[in-house]
Amino acid sequence: MKKVASEEKLELTISCILIVGVIASVAMEAIGILGYYNSNGNLNIIFRPEFALQGADFFTYSGNAFFQVMNGGWTPLQILSLGIIVLMMTPYVRVAASVIYFGLVRNPKYLIITLFVLIILTASLLVH
Amino acid sequence: MLTVLVISAMAGLLGALTGLGGGSIMIPVLVGFGVPVKYAIAASMVTIIATSSGSAASYVKERITNVKAAFYLEMFTIIGAIIGATITALIEPRLLYFLFAGFLLTSFYGLSGHLKEEFPKDVKQDRMSKWLELQGSYYDQAAGKQVDYKMTNARLGGLGMMVAGLAAGMLGIGAGAFKVSIHELILKMPSKVSTTTSNFIIGITALAGASVYFASGLLFVGLAAPMAVGTTIGAVAGGRILNRFPNRIIRYLFLVIVFALIIQMIYKGVTLP
Repeated sequence: MKKVASEEKLELTISCILIVGVIASVAMEAIGILGYYNSNGNLNIIFRPEFALQGADFFTYSGNAFFQVMNGGWTPLQILSLGIIVLMMTPYVRVAASVIYFGLVRNPKYLIITLFVLIILTASLLVH
Repeated sequence: MLTVLVISAMAGLLGALTGLGGGSIMIPVLVGFGVPVKYAIAASMVTIIATSSGSAASYVKERITNVKAAFYLEMFTIIGAIIGATITALIEPRLLYFLFAGFLLTSFYGLSGHLKEEFPKDVKQDRMSKWLELQGSYYDQAAGKQVDYKMTNARLGGLGMMVAGLAAGMLGIGAGAFKVSIHELILKMPSKVSTTTSNFIIGITALAGASVYFASGLLFVGLAAPMAVGTTIGAVAGGRILNRFPNRIIRYLFLVIVFALIIQMIYKGVTLP
């Protein structure tokens, strides 16, 4: 019985992570689009390298974007980028939460499985 | 961006109504508007995270999704998605138009699906599936009963999911119908567990694919942001009105849309300079 109850806890946590992540990112993107229109007077999409998310690995890029916004030096484009970052971080965080959960309940099988997923995703996000 | 937002909302709505998923509709439409196919695929991959996670949240909470099966199968889909996205980043764009048209053709198969038994009975669990604790129980509202089930063929299911991940990563789609077929035909999941678990897995598969597109510099924020907002709005609205449409109309809608998208992708591929 105890095992079932604690698994429910994991499911509730995952559900929370997913919903908060999606709402936060969609809200940021909506604000970013409005800000973009306000400062540019149009909503044209530009396919130039500076409009692509790139330049560093995902974690460094995310850290830089986050600190820039926190320090007040943000632009609508950075808010849009941050929205995409939050969106990409959402499933990543739910895998990390699952690793912690299976570690805490001492389920070695699923600790290894979720850790494998987390390692592959981390490695893939570190490439640039 | 406004145009992308509006057509994404429509694609999200139609995707939810027809069961095609937003990406399968969105990519050909964007290509029709002159967006390079690789940029459309990369942006769609990120968008899928939003639609998948949004709906997965409630299914996980309702305890229909089998999270253990999802964790196990994710090991395979992410590897497939990383390989698939890498192939897309490297190959000639013209090939992608034809591959996409080919994928859309296979979705006609979905029309003949769902005729099988909804609750597989007498499933003999193999040793590995037992070891992986691939079983569960959920309350089925439509049937008004608690459904207990066991899964089997974990090895073959994993392999199938790697192929599904490859298609998803390569074409920037969820490949939900493909995943559901593997869940039901190979792993013997009940239909509701199958669709909700597939939805849950799609978010991670999409992240794996998106990571490659991020590293390749194919992810354009001005395209991905309105797509994510639009498809999320469209998918939520589509989910709410789905039950008001008769199945026959949905089937016709599906046929017309898929047919138009196939023609459009082949035309683009042939006329590409």
